This record gives sequence, structure tokens and C-alpha cells, in this order.
Amino acid sequence: MRLLVIEDDATLRESLAAKLEENGFAVEQAADGKEGLYFALEYPIDLAVVDLGLPEMSGLDIIREARRKGKAFPILILTARDRWEDKVDGLDAGADDYVVKPFQFEEVIARVNALLRRSGGWASSVMNAGPVTLDMSRQELVVNDEPVDLTSFEYKIIEYLMVRAGQVISKTELTERLYDQDYERDSNVIEVFIGRLRKKMDPDNTIKPIETLRGRGYRFALERGETA
Amino acid sequence: MSSLSARLLISVSILLLFFFGVTGVVLDTAFRKAGEQAREDVLEGHLMAILAAAEPSDNGDLVMPPDLQESRFSAIGSGLYAEIRDSGGNTVWLSRSALGLAIPFGLVSQDGSRLFREESFADGTPLLTLSIAVQWEFPDGELRPYIFKVAESLDSYNAQVAQFRQQLFGWFGAVAVIMLIAIGVLLGSLLRPLRQIETQIGEIESGSRQSLAGEFPTELQGVARNMNILIDSERARSERYKQTLANLAHSLKTPLAAMRALISQTRRLKQADRFNEQIDRMDEIVRYQLRKPAASSGSLMSVVPVAQEIDRLIEGLTKVYHDKEPEIRADIADGAQFRGDKGDFLEVSGNLLDNACKWCARRVLIAVQPDAAGLVLSVSDDGPGIPDDAADALLQRGTRLDESTPGHGIGLAVVKDIVRSYGGDLTIGESELGGAEIRVTLPAA
Repeated sequence: MRLLVIEDDATLRESLAAKLEENGFAVEQAADGKEGLYFALEYPIDLAVVDLGLPEMSGLDIIREARRKGKAFPILILTARDRWEDKVDGLDAGADDYVVKPFQFEEVIARVNALLRRSGGWASSVMNAGPVTLDMSRQELVVNDEPVDLTSFEYKIIEYLMVRAGQVISKTELTERLYDQDYERDSNVIEVFIGRLRKKMDPDNTIKPIETLRGRGYRFALERGETA
Repeated sequence: MSSLSARLLISVSILLLFFFGVTGVVLDTAFRKAGEQAREDVLEGHLMAILAAAEPSDNGDLVMPPDLQESRFSAIGSGLYAEIRDSGGNTVWLSRSALGLAIPFGLVSQDGSRLFREESFADGTPLLTLSIAVQWEFPDGELRPYIFKVAESLDSYNAQVAQFRQQLFGWFGAVAVIMLIAIGVLLGSLLRPLRQIETQIGEIESGSRQSLAGEFPTELQGVARNMNILIDSERARSERYKQTLANLAHSLKTPLAAMRALISQTRRLKQADRFNEQIDRMDEIVRYQLRKPAASSGSLMSVVPVAQEIDRLIEGLTKVYHDKEPEIRADIADGAQFRGDKGDFLEVSGNLLDNACKWCARRVLIAVQPDAAGLVLSVSDDGPGIPDDAADALLQRGTRLDESTPGHGIGLAVVKDIVRSYGGDLTIGESELGGAEIRVTLPAA
């Protein structure tokens, strides 16, 4: 998944981006409000982390503008003041959750995961569909009670598909959202990864978790289960 | 004497009393002088008439005709009397009007000059008397001394004077009262713009008005204009203060967050923990210092529409507690308003609602009712509740940083600080939903 981090403090922004990348996200960084808004509007983004106190353009204005332009991705605000007046203003403008500085990275990552899940319509932190269970906080995939050993890119694909279970995801979308930089990578690579994923998750070809829709893309096909 | 109207009315009263008093005394004196002069002239006329009427008789005495031209000499007790005595003091003639009365004959004129005196009958009736001593030349050529005396009762004259005084001071009194009433009314209308300004300033302080407005007289337009400038600058100052706090928070906390980020990259875990501890301490200090209630900073208050702000809070919290899906119900009295700082109100209700959402099983209720002093706000949940001893500990806990802990604690400590700064109170109890109920009273600032 591709995240956007808008934060003017370089140390904080880069550490946060590094931490998020460690957790399997592709991260765009913006150092001021204007750049941030440009990224938010023009880049394929799954979630934005927005600092409220930014040069050039305030975080609140970015959120309002992005929402006005119809951007629906979840937004997590970083606020320095933990007065409710500021939090409510942020939530009112269109943010979905807040983290108060100075935060623990684990907290930011937990919130990011929760927001991404929520945006895919999952209520619980552990997503479960039939025999397949994915725990985002642990980056762990379990099929038929057996943990599946995945590479980081394979994990990114299954997480992306499973969060949006039931939706058709094009190869382009997958490349855009999962690669760090190079959007032009050959889409055949995706096919290869999907093939490997199918083999690892469903060696006997009985569950059929990932469906291919010719010319349109892929879909995580299992019924969403009860929340764990 | 702080009231302008009282000051003016009292000084005008003193002035009126002095003016009318002096005028009254002058008029009264003049009236009496004129009256006395007229009396004396009349009395002198009567004396002349008596002198003219007296005739020497054959037996060497003076006689008076039985009927004098002035009939009052003949009517008994008419108030006009006359007497003639000889040198031995024997009454030669007494007017019929003086029948049964003894005209005082103490001091009389000893020569040809006239002597006016104020005397009185034995019963106290005041008299004005005029006496003259004459040498009467009889036909035989002999000169005999006689004393002629006329007296007139002052009763009617005194009554006249009294009536004049009564009328004079009656009218003066009435005029003074009318003038005072007129001045009072005039003052009322003159001071109305001032009172209007006073009322409006009160409204500005309590937040129900933005600036002084209205048709002020020319003399007050400058005052009103300067007042508005002052209010605007005060408002701007308070806004700048908030902005400064926000910037300060941002510029302090971002480096703290960055430090934490850097620390998280080190492999020396022991040192990292100690650094994080220091960061936490700095963070707490910044948080506490930047959280001071606005009410205690003496800024201008505003009117906060309670229902609208609570709706925003509930909407926000519904997002934040998306996974838990708490059922938040608001029971807000129609048109409830909080007079104070909006940030303070949001801080109180936000913290209480946040805690309730955190601890509830499913249901949260926020109720706001107006009371005599301001508002009563209560937040209940169906969570585990707060045991009595823990509640006491929470409430007794001061605002000391090291004693605040996350959870119910720190939020409540903040709420308590704010509520106290408005002179309100916070109580922890059991809610009908089964969990905790926090009730705060929020008097208007």
C-alpha cells in the first residue's frame, strides 16, 4: 500500500517513512503543505499521514481540499497540541484519526493498519475469510491454522487484495500501490508473484483465494468471515 | 457618591434650595417693608383725622364729635382704635371701638414728633401704634398739652404676611420639585447612551456581542470607537496568544517526536529507554503548560452553542472509535449555551466523552441541562465504573505532573482544572447505564 507522509521536520519525516517502509508500505514524503496537497491529489495514495502545523499550507487546509476534490483515502493527523479543539477541527475537516506528538512509532503503525483495514470494510484487526486469516499488526498470514512464509512483496500483495476483499484490483493498481518508485515495472512480474502466492497459500488448489478476471485484474474471492 | 445622576441631583437640589431661599427672604422682606410703610401712612392719616376732628369745648376741654368719618372707630373691636389723654395721663377721649380694651400707653411721643411703636394688648394681640404730643391752643389763648394716639391691630396684616409667605414658598417649592423632576428625566435621557455602552460592554464580556454598536451622541462616538478598537485588539491578542501556544506546542513537540524517532533506531536499548523517559517528562511538562484553561488567562469569552459542538465531538469520536462502535447518545437541553472559551468547553466534554468511549461496553450518554449558574454536563457509560476509592484518588490528585497517569486520570485532571477555573465542580458517581457517571457544573465565566 502506498502511504503519503506530510511532515516538515526532516528527521521525523524520514524516520517515520523508514519505519513505515519496514512495515511493508510504499511511502511518499512531502515536506510542506503545498507539496503535500499536490501528492495527495495527484498520486495513487491509500492513506495519508498529515502533520497539522505545516509551512505553506496548514494540514487542515490540505485535508479539506483533498476531501473537497473527492479523495476518500483515510487520513491520520499528527497533532502537537492535544487539545480537543484541535483534534475536533481535524476530524471535522475530514481526518479519520489522530496521533499526538511525540508518538511511539508502534502507535502510528497500529493506527495506520486499523485505518487501512477500516477503509476496506474490516472491523477487526485480524482479517479472516474462510480458512485464511491475516494479522496486519504482525504481518502474518495463516491458512488452515498453518502460518504461511511469505516474502515482503508477496505479503504486500495479499494484504492489499485481502483488505479490499471482493473488489477487483487491476495489475496497474497493484504496481502503483506496491512498488516504492518504479511504476513502469513489467506487469508480468505481478503475475509471477500472484502465481507464487497461490502456490504458497493453496498448494492443493482447493481454496482458490485469488481469482483472475481476464483483462481486469485480480480479486480476493473468499467470503469475509466473522471477526476474530 | 459614585453615580453621576445622584451627584448632579444633589448639587442641583442644594443650588435650588439656596437660590429659592435667598429669593424668598428678599421678596418677603420687601413685601413686609412695603406693607409696613403703607400701614404707617394709613395710621398717620387716621391720626390726622382725629386731630382735625377734635374741638375745644367751652369748659376748657377737648371734645370729639360722636360720629367720626372713619366708621371703624365706632365699631366695637374693629381693630382700629384711638385715644386722647391729657398731660396728667387721664383719658380725655376713647374711641368707641376700644370699649373694654386698654390701649397700652407706655412710651409715647413727648414733643411734636410722631412715634411709631409696635405694642400689644394685654391678651397679646399685636398693635402698631402712633402717638403725637401736641400743645392745643384754646380760644382763651391757653396752651394745653394733649397726647393723641391711634392703634391698629396687626392681626389682619400678619395674616396677610403669613399668606404671602405661604404662597411664596409654596410656589417656590412646587417649582423646585418640578425642576428636579425635569432634571431627573433629562439626566435619564442624557445618560441613556452611557448606560447603553455599559450594558453592551457587559454583553461583550460575556460573549453575546462582538462590538459596541448603536447611535451614540457625538461626545460619546469617540469613546465608543476607541472602545471597539480596544476590544478588537484584545480579541486579536487573545487569538495571537492561542496561535503562539499552538506554534510553541508544534515547535517543541516535533523535535521530541524526531528525537524519539532517532532513539528508535539505536540498538542500545537500555539507553533508549532512559532517553524515552526524559522525552516523556518533557512532553508532560509541555502538555501541562500549554493546557492552561483560557478562563484563567482573562480573555474575552464567547457564547458556545453546546449542541453543535457536542455533535462535532460525537462525530469525531465515532470515527476514532470506529472499531468499537460505541452508541453515543446526546441529551442536550434546547438552545443550551456555554458562556466561556470554546476550547475549554471542547476540552471538558471531549475528555469526558473520550474516557466514556474508552471504558464503555457499548453505550455512552452525554446530557447537558442549564441551571441557575450555567450548565450541568454529565457523561455516563455502561462500563465497569470507577470504584469509590479510586474516584477519591482521582479527585484528590492535584495537577502535579508526576501523579497523572494515562487513562481516566490525566483527562479527568485536565477537566477538573478547567471546571475549577470556571468556579464549577466535578463529581464522580454511578450512572443509570451501570458504569461511571462524571458530572460537572460549568458556571458562565
